[in-house]
Amino acid sequence: MELSDLFSNLALGFSVAATPGNLFWCLMGALVGTAIGVLPGVGPVATMALLLPTTYYLPPEGALIMLAGIYYGAQYGGSTTAILINLPGESSSVVTVLDGYQMAKQGRAGAALAIAAIGSFFAGCVATVAIAVAAPPLTKVAQQFAPADYCSLMVLGLVFAIVLARGSVVKALGMVFLGMLLGLVGTDVNTGNLRYTFGISDLFDGIGFVPLVMGLFGMAEIMANMTNTERRDLVTSKVTGLMPTWEDLKTSAMSVLRGTILGGFLGILPGGGAVLASFSSYTLEKKLAKDPSRFGKGAIEGVAGPESANNAAAQTSFIPMLTLGIPSNAVMAMMIGGMMIHGIVPGPQVMTERPGLFWGMIASMWLGNLMLIVLNLPMIGLWVRMLMVPYRLMSIAILFFCCIGVYSLNNSANEVLFIAVFGILGYFFFKLDCEPAPLLLGFILGPLLEVYMRRAMLLSRGDAMVFIERPLSLSFLILAAILLTIVLLPNIRKAREVAFVE
Amino acid sequence: MRRRHLIGAAGVTILGTGTARAQAQNWPDRPVKLIVPYAPGGASDLMARPWSEKLSQAFGQQFVIENRGGAGGMIGTEAAAKSPPDGYTLFFAPGATLSVLPILRKTPYDPVKSFSPIARVGDLVCGFVINPAVGPKTLHEVIAYAKQNPGKLAYGSAGLGTSSQLRIEMLKHRAKVDILHVPYRGSADALNDLLPNTVQMMNEINVLPHVKAGKLTLLNINYPTRHPDFPDAPTLTELGFPDSDVQIWYSMQAPAGTPRAIVDKLSAKMNEIAASEDMKARMRGINVVVPIQTPEQVAQHLVADIKATAELIRDANIRLE
Repeated sequence: MELSDLFSNLALGFSVAATPGNLFWCLMGALVGTAIGVLPGVGPVATMALLLPTTYYLPPEGALIMLAGIYYGAQYGGSTTAILINLPGESSSVVTVLDGYQMAKQGRAGAALAIAAIGSFFAGCVATVAIAVAAPPLTKVAQQFAPADYCSLMVLGLVFAIVLARGSVVKALGMVFLGMLLGLVGTDVNTGNLRYTFGISDLFDGIGFVPLVMGLFGMAEIMANMTNTERRDLVTSKVTGLMPTWEDLKTSAMSVLRGTILGGFLGILPGGGAVLASFSSYTLEKKLAKDPSRFGKGAIEGVAGPESANNAAAQTSFIPMLTLGIPSNAVMAMMIGGMMIHGIVPGPQVMTERPGLFWGMIASMWLGNLMLIVLNLPMIGLWVRMLMVPYRLMSIAILFFCCIGVYSLNNSANEVLFIAVFGILGYFFFKLDCEPAPLLLGFILGPLLEVYMRRAMLLSRGDAMVFIERPLSLSFLILAAILLTIVLLPNIRKAREVAFVE
Repeated sequence: MRRRHLIGAAGVTILGTGTARAQAQNWPDRPVKLIVPYAPGGASDLMARPWSEKLSQAFGQQFVIENRGGAGGMIGTEAAAKSPPDGYTLFFAPGATLSVLPILRKTPYDPVKSFSPIARVGDLVCGFVINPAVGPKTLHEVIAYAKQNPGKLAYGSAGLGTSSQLRIEMLKHRAKVDILHVPYRGSADALNDLLPNTVQMMNEINVLPHVKAGKLTLLNINYPTRHPDFPDAPTLTELGFPDSDVQIWYSMQAPAGTPRAIVDKLSAKMNEIAASEDMKARMRGINVVVPIQTPEQVAQHLVADIKATAELIRDANIRLE
């Protein structure tokens, strides 16, 4: 791609993102994201699920800009809680707790917060450019994808979802399959048969995405939090010395860079995303450090690396969503939901048909990151105070909005009941230590896999060789086979388990 | 459910007779609900919004769109059929929910008996398109190509039992050609495969911007008359296929039993709106034409459409389940 194209595309993006309305939604998204990032137990997936129905009333650009803001905003907010109260505000800040809280205890909370924000900002900027550079050529490739290629890509995606899930492979596999089974409910596209609808007409189009995620993520999280009686101890109510020292910056510069690259790469992989990126970055930093024993005792690299990595991954995970229309993680599935509400079918055509939306969203990420670094540090006091709101009050408000939100989508009372059912199911998953994210990926990718496979077979007039004859399709299948073999090898499986435990 | 509805309807009728005239005179004295049986963002929603705006202005009460999507429109249609017939619930009826669904599936409503027609609200204008990479430039050339290469052309539809499937089945049946029907989940999905020539043909309004951009060839117009935006596209009758236009038409319906005075009042106002230059221009912008019809004409059109669709579905042997 020509460099001038890149600039004219970005210029178009900024002209869309910098309109007062879109700036406002970007700010709202970033603020809401930070707020829920700060609050432990309310994640970006649940929040986006809650806000999804309301985005219908916004223009599509504003809606997607706001939803995106929530995601990367949450990465900033999560670190604040992690550093100040020894509790990860977000699952992607789990590792930040290790060294961040130790730094705070040593009176260096300001430096930890600042390096987290600076690292995130740097990573955000790099990732924005990466998206702008990588998206157009990838989109070109994607436009040539035939149904057979998509089908094999889904196979690869599902294998990734299993390989990269946290915890046991067996549980992840089970959750992916359960998700695929749930995805089977509804009308069969090719024959018009009704599957597992039990005569309930609300199920004719399948289980609704929004009630499913609101239940599995929103309701279940609230129930899980209600049982959590952990006290929140503030290490310090007053944060001083926000500027890191020259020494701090020098020590963490390379960590930030490494975290950005590693996170940026992991974000693109299906099933990857911010959580995996921060864990991997922490492991990497510890391995590369001259004195690994400093880690866990307030090493600034242990904050800088993972915080950059999670933000980079949060942003690069938009690449497969924007170019292929495939969600690499639960948050991206939510973004796709946001597009569908506006009647935009995610896929390679979005960039050519709605360039304003596409580039506006990318530009808004950079603006949002800028807003976050400017706003976040001065507002830390406010965020900390918000943590003092009793959860029992907040949970009722959240539940209330959940129910109104889902009802307003189709004006269907049955869908409100579905939230309750999935909420209870989600609570059991939580108790059984089963992560719901692979289920969601199975729920999204499974039906796509089926549709593409049957469409490919229909178009090839029943010849299954089509999956092997097309070079793209064949390479995806080979990759998937290699990945599966690797993860099933006993040595690597053990190493993987150790890595995730860490 | 069904019984409660009947009792409710009977109650309304008994109470209603004496005060019907007074009711109609005051109608509407509160907001009117307009049920659209598809999710927001689609063609029907796009068409319903100008109508809700214009009706709200004309009657001084809000005409609020309620999207009740799902089951190919069945859920919203059922909800409309079972609403009280007091003029405060109207149904923005896509033709398929009344003339296609009841033939293919067991529907909890009767397309004729459950509703009282008011007016036509718009017809979508489009036609068969083909990817230029295939070669043929006219419908007759396409038919000749399909006869020489049976089963080689593939046609993408918006799904089973949609008007766009009916159209290709009609063409296959009337022109005696073999074209593979590939159902998609909605027309946008099908368009994604049409542009890279994975499927070669389609017949949905979302292809029209690509026709204007020269990326697809429009073979005909699915309408009794030519369209000013596509003056070169002939009608199917001109091409030698009379009575073959499977139109996508929309109407405003009220639950059966709605006072006649309210239906007449609405019908008169709606036809007045449809005739206005402003409405015509807005509808043309989304490739829609609004025919002016009385409630009786709408009813006749529906009965004729049901009959023609049933014949086509039987002849072409289209089945669900």
